[in-house]
Amino acid sequence: MHLFFQELLNGLVVGSLYALVALGLALVYGTMQIPNFAHGHLYMLGAYVAFFGVTVAHVGYWPAMLLAIVVLALVGVVLERLVFRPLRNAPEVNTIIAAVGVLFFLQTLAQVWFGGDYRVFPTPYDKVVHFAGLVATQQQLIVIAAAAVLMVALFWFLKRTLTGATIEAVAQNRAGAALVGIDPNRVSMMVFAISAGLAAAAATLIASISLISPSMGFTVILKAFAIIVLGGMGSVPGAIIGAYILAFAESFGGTYISSNYQDAIAFGVLVLILTFKPTGLFAKGT
Amino acid sequence: MLEIKNLGVRYGAASPALEGVDLTVRPGECVTLLGANGSGKTSLFCALSGLIPSTGQIRFEEREIGRMRPAAIVALGIAQCPEGRQLFPDLSVEKNLRLGAYVGRRDRRGTEAALERVCTLFPDVRDKLRSPAGALSGGQQQMVAIGRALMARPKLLLLDEPSLGLAPKLVEATLDAVAEINRAGTMVLLAEQNAYAALSIAHRGYVLANGRVVLEGSASALQQNELVKKAFIGA
Repeated sequence: MHLFFQELLNGLVVGSLYALVALGLALVYGTMQIPNFAHGHLYMLGAYVAFFGVTVAHVGYWPAMLLAIVVLALVGVVLERLVFRPLRNAPEVNTIIAAVGVLFFLQTLAQVWFGGDYRVFPTPYDKVVHFAGLVATQQQLIVIAAAAVLMVALFWFLKRTLTGATIEAVAQNRAGAALVGIDPNRVSMMVFAISAGLAAAAATLIASISLISPSMGFTVILKAFAIIVLGGMGSVPGAIIGAYILAFAESFGGTYISSNYQDAIAFGVLVLILTFKPTGLFAKGT
Repeated sequence: MLEIKNLGVRYGAASPALEGVDLTVRPGECVTLLGANGSGKTSLFCALSGLIPSTGQIRFEEREIGRMRPAAIVALGIAQCPEGRQLFPDLSVEKNLRLGAYVGRRDRRGTEAALERVCTLFPDVRDKLRSPAGALSGGQQQMVAIGRALMARPKLLLLDEPSLGLAPKLVEATLDAVAEINRAGTMVLLAEQNAYAALSIAHRGYVLANGRVVLEGSASALQQNELVKKAFIGA
């Protein structure tokens, strides 16, 4: 039973990371039908911005995270304006190729600027906490709590503010949104900013538990895509639920069945769910 | 006052969707735009709202709006209830309406007053405020679509075939509502296939065919016109 709760905790940590990354991906897909393959690399870039914030500029952990969020939000806006907006009315495959192009561009940029080495992200929260026989680092608890706060904030923004409603309006009917005076291009930029900002927050949270490197975006983006397919393409609640399902399948599968097959088990669960709900858990109408 | 001069719209290399259209809506007027499918009514509305590029002049209250963006046009006081309604299906009716007031969002009191006005005009809408717009019947969705356009507190309301697909009784109710909106001082430009009903509430009318104005006149003159009778009223 003790092992069970320990794995539950680990699943929550990983699930929180997946949720923040998948949410950004789902928002962009849901609003603009852009499969942003470069999303994992925005996450990577966010980790480096925070890393240099802490190690070079010595601004402290939380200011470094804020810095990473702001910088990546700006990168997101630039990406929308320069890469994706001109492709708005182009065939979807062009958008996909552009996204992959951005991925390789950022990957190479990071290799050149930061080098290919793995780096350790220093955290001030490395103490170990014991409670009820369970062991966790402070950083792990911070990941869970911070992710929860960010998700609640995002939900509040989307559901309770008029600006948040404009995102859903553009997602559901772009022409209708323009007719009530919403500028769909501005909403697109805002969505990219939020999406990349969330990725930066996720990266800063998890970087001090794992390591950072220019290729850290690859595994994350694969899982995030699997999650939004599982959740129903573009669904925000689907992305969150899907993230925790995948994370729990990994942590429990790894513990109770075989750690060698951890990913195989997790993706097996995914395939199983999609067999019964082919359009995902929270598929949108049509 | 809306003044359109020599308006043209062209999609690609095909023959123009609109050519040389002159049209005016004077203060307080309800003007109807008659024409068969494909005659250019929707193109005219899209051009007015800035959704598609056009040539020629579109002046609204002494300002040239032909090259303005949709949001700026709504902010000037031209709101459209488009063909096919274009609601936000998964959002509640109330959110659909509140988004209609997006350009006037800083005027909270004005927004609440507009919401109350829409609910008074369409009592069915008040009962459905919490439902997703997509779950409503066609007639109710039409009310929401008109209501959403009214939420912008427009000086000129553009209505693109509001009665399309509605049962005859609902057509009457919808057009009664339009007449009431017009009586309260809003200029209305109403595109309709149902010429008889439209002419009964309009002051003047234009008939479009193949992207050109082929006939214009007062509502009563058009009602008596043989061409209109033969083409639209079926008498």
